[in-house]
Amino acid sequence: MLQVLLSGLTVGTIYGLVAMAFAIVFYVTKVINFATGQLLMVSILLVSGLVKLGLPDWLGIVTGLVAATVLGVATYFIAVRPVLRFDRFSFAWLVSTLGVAIVIQATFALIYGPASQPFPRGLHAIPVRLGPATLTVQEIVTLAVGLLAIVGWHLVRRYTLLGKLGKAISTDPEIASTVGANVTAFAVGAFAIGGFLAGLAGILVGPITYGNPYLGDTYGIFGFIALMIGGIQRPAAAMGGGLVLGVLSIAANTYIGAQASDWFPFVLVLLVLLLTPNGVFASGDQLRRLFRTRRAYQQGVNA
Amino acid sequence: MTGMLRRHSWIGALVLLAAFIAGTWGVAKSGFGIQSIVTVAAIYVILAVSLDLVAGTVGLYSLGHAGLFAIGAYGTSLLNRYLDLDVFLLLPIVIVAAGLVGAMLGALSLRVSGLYFAITTFIFTIIVYVVLSNSSWTFGLQGTTGPIFPAFPVATGAVLGRSVVWAVAAVVLIAIVISWSIRASAFYPVLLAVRDAEPYARANGVRSSLVKVGIFALSAGMAGMAGWAFSFLVYQSPGTFGWVASVNLLVMVIIGGMNTRLGPILGAVLVSVFPFVVKIDPFWQEVVFGVVFVAVIVFFPRGLVGLGDLIAGWVRRAIARRAPADATEPPEAGAASGAPTPDPEGDPVVPAEGDALAARGIRFSYVPGVPVLQDVDMVVRRGTIHGLIGPNGSGKSTLVNLISGELRAQVGTIELNGARVERLSSPTRPAHGLMRTFQSAVLVREIPVLENTTVGLYSTVKHIAGRSIVWPLLPGARRDYRAMRERSAAALGSVGLEPSWHPALVRDVPHGVEQLTQLASSIVSEPSVLILDEPLAGLSGAEIAHVADILHRLKARGVTIIVIEHQTRFIFDHCDDVTVIAAGELVTSGPAAEVRTNDRVREVYLGQ
Repeated sequence: MLQVLLSGLTVGTIYGLVAMAFAIVFYVTKVINFATGQLLMVSILLVSGLVKLGLPDWLGIVTGLVAATVLGVATYFIAVRPVLRFDRFSFAWLVSTLGVAIVIQATFALIYGPASQPFPRGLHAIPVRLGPATLTVQEIVTLAVGLLAIVGWHLVRRYTLLGKLGKAISTDPEIASTVGANVTAFAVGAFAIGGFLAGLAGILVGPITYGNPYLGDTYGIFGFIALMIGGIQRPAAAMGGGLVLGVLSIAANTYIGAQASDWFPFVLVLLVLLLTPNGVFASGDQLRRLFRTRRAYQQGVNA
Repeated sequence: MTGMLRRHSWIGALVLLAAFIAGTWGVAKSGFGIQSIVTVAAIYVILAVSLDLVAGTVGLYSLGHAGLFAIGAYGTSLLNRYLDLDVFLLLPIVIVAAGLVGAMLGALSLRVSGLYFAITTFIFTIIVYVVLSNSSWTFGLQGTTGPIFPAFPVATGAVLGRSVVWAVAAVVLIAIVISWSIRASAFYPVLLAVRDAEPYARANGVRSSLVKVGIFALSAGMAGMAGWAFSFLVYQSPGTFGWVASVNLLVMVIIGGMNTRLGPILGAVLVSVFPFVVKIDPFWQEVVFGVVFVAVIVFFPRGLVGLGDLIAGWVRRAIARRAPADATEPPEAGAASGAPTPDPEGDPVVPAEGDALAARGIRFSYVPGVPVLQDVDMVVRRGTIHGLIGPNGSGKSTLVNLISGELRAQVGTIELNGARVERLSSPTRPAHGLMRTFQSAVLVREIPVLENTTVGLYSTVKHIAGRSIVWPLLPGARRDYRAMRERSAAALGSVGLEPSWHPALVRDVPHGVEQLTQLASSIVSEPSVLILDEPLAGLSGAEIAHVADILHRLKARGVTIIVIEHQTRFIFDHCDDVTVIAAGELVTSGPAAEVRTNDRVREVYLGQ
């Protein structure tokens, strides 16, 4: 039981980080970068490749993270900015970012071939017993990173210009630029954070999955599902969606059958999309707002 | 002349059809290699055409077409295998099945937004893929062969060749006829209006959500039809129907040219033939394909057809430059051209007694506890021009949106020509004789002024949507569209837009013409009540005088007009009655002369 919960939270953190990467980009630009999953794959495969060439693990990891970040920013300049410039309201970015995903995936498949590559075991080799459950140090680090990401985003949102102006920029970039916001810089920042988070998720999950060019597809889709479950409007809720997805998937695997996690997430997201289209956490928000306004209304009536 | 043209278009269509049949015959008699390339390309033509119908004309980016395609293909194979159903019986079955799934997806996702639609359809495709690859009854990742399409009898087969090629040709023809018919129908401007100017479409009686769901269902049915034909051609495995396939379909449409007649066909052929022409390592092929398609979207967002148009434009301009420079520039807006055009409707109507519109006790708030309108009454006498004024944020536009059905009041009644309408949605208003314009003109920018105006007649002509899929084949429909264009031209004339403006694209005309076009489309159906929301915004002095003139002529015909305006001089000069609201409450309402001298009005609004 505890094992299921902890394993679920660990897997969920990975999904959540990818979902946050999606959500932060969306928060500032109203664009969903469908190549996000591929950035995760890039960081894993670069680490595998560089370590194979004899580089120390840490250097490989740093390179992987930098590459994912840079590639995230490059996606913005190659596939998003020109498309939005042509027509700010079109959905052409949907196709162009999916196109980038295909290019990245095909390029890495070309270089590495479809077979799995070894990934440094690192901290994953050290088990830790927690009562009846066992986790590896890597998994504990993963949980910590997930927590850090939520706290970090909260700080960004509260105390940085990116967080405060992000929403305004995505709502109307033209107006935002008239009050002096450099829209491009903010978008670059968002895509960089997104790329970094996806890369980070890759480093964390690498020892479990090993390297494979099609990992981006898998984790991109699960991260996207986590995003849909949590709600696209708020990055922290996206992490929440990841945790819900992770725990429920592992639970389904344990209690329903070994292959359940292949289809269970899709049933889950279908239910969420049908019942609360804006995500599980957003619906709570709506309820809260409903109560708050009703209270305000009653106060108004009483006054 | 028109008769000649019509005969010519028939000849053109017949020539195309003959070429199509000859081509099909050629392929049916040719070798297996050619056949497999051409037939698969033809299937993608159907898919791209069907996708363009939703993505191009109503602006819904479906990523669900691979899933719908799978329903058609797997549906045919599996139902034939397990239930031994006849392949010809399966065609309508899979079309209806895919159409119903499409209608469901559309109905569920369009509650929220276009982006949500794209996401839901994306997830739908993934779910279909997961089900196909994980179920034993679909033969998992391994896939299955489809049924065998019955061959022609030996004698016929010797002449016509391979039967399945003819079957594919038939479904391609159906898809193209449907899509081209819609593009030629009176429904086409309506669809574009749903995409670009939804409030405008709704105010003209178009039930936009129903239209979107309906078009997506039609498109889904076409994708199912493509799947049916596909099942006879190739071994089916889930890999053919993944999300990448959905993206590829969108790529085909975009590369060819979205919302064009030839674009999706061209794009589908190019993309599906690409792997046969460029024979390289499959990994390389995928890289090259990806790069090409991102480049096309980034550099040629209008696709090949757009590129062709661009080049044709250069050539035309180069020729025009060489020719003597007496190019016929459209004249200035009718406003400046002086003499008002004679009224096409003729006889002035004596104003009938009674109220055209009565809104009573209207209470409305967007957020509970913050009232926007409180117990507002507004009664408009039949055959008068009624001004509605008030400071910014006083609730004028909200009141108009309540009357036109865009919003619903929490409390209060609205009577329109004696019928209670406060519970009915905005597309029902034209049937009660109400039309309206919007503060900023919302029109479809990529079609001509005249076609935009025909949208105003949507509620007066029956079965536009239903007939659109075979429109050019119906003499009655062609006649209706001709009549709609004639009436629209007359309406445009009556607001002073000369015929030279009528074929101009809205994106090329000045603001004044756009405003007048909107006015024309709101009066073309001869409503009895007309609401004009700031009709003078951005107009010049001469144009304002021209609008005043139009209003008086409409009034002389018995139309009741409600004008929201900030220019109080215009209101007091031209209105019979005036209603003043401020901060969501009624200040006063009555004859213009009385309202003008009302102390509170002078205080709250005129600032005296």
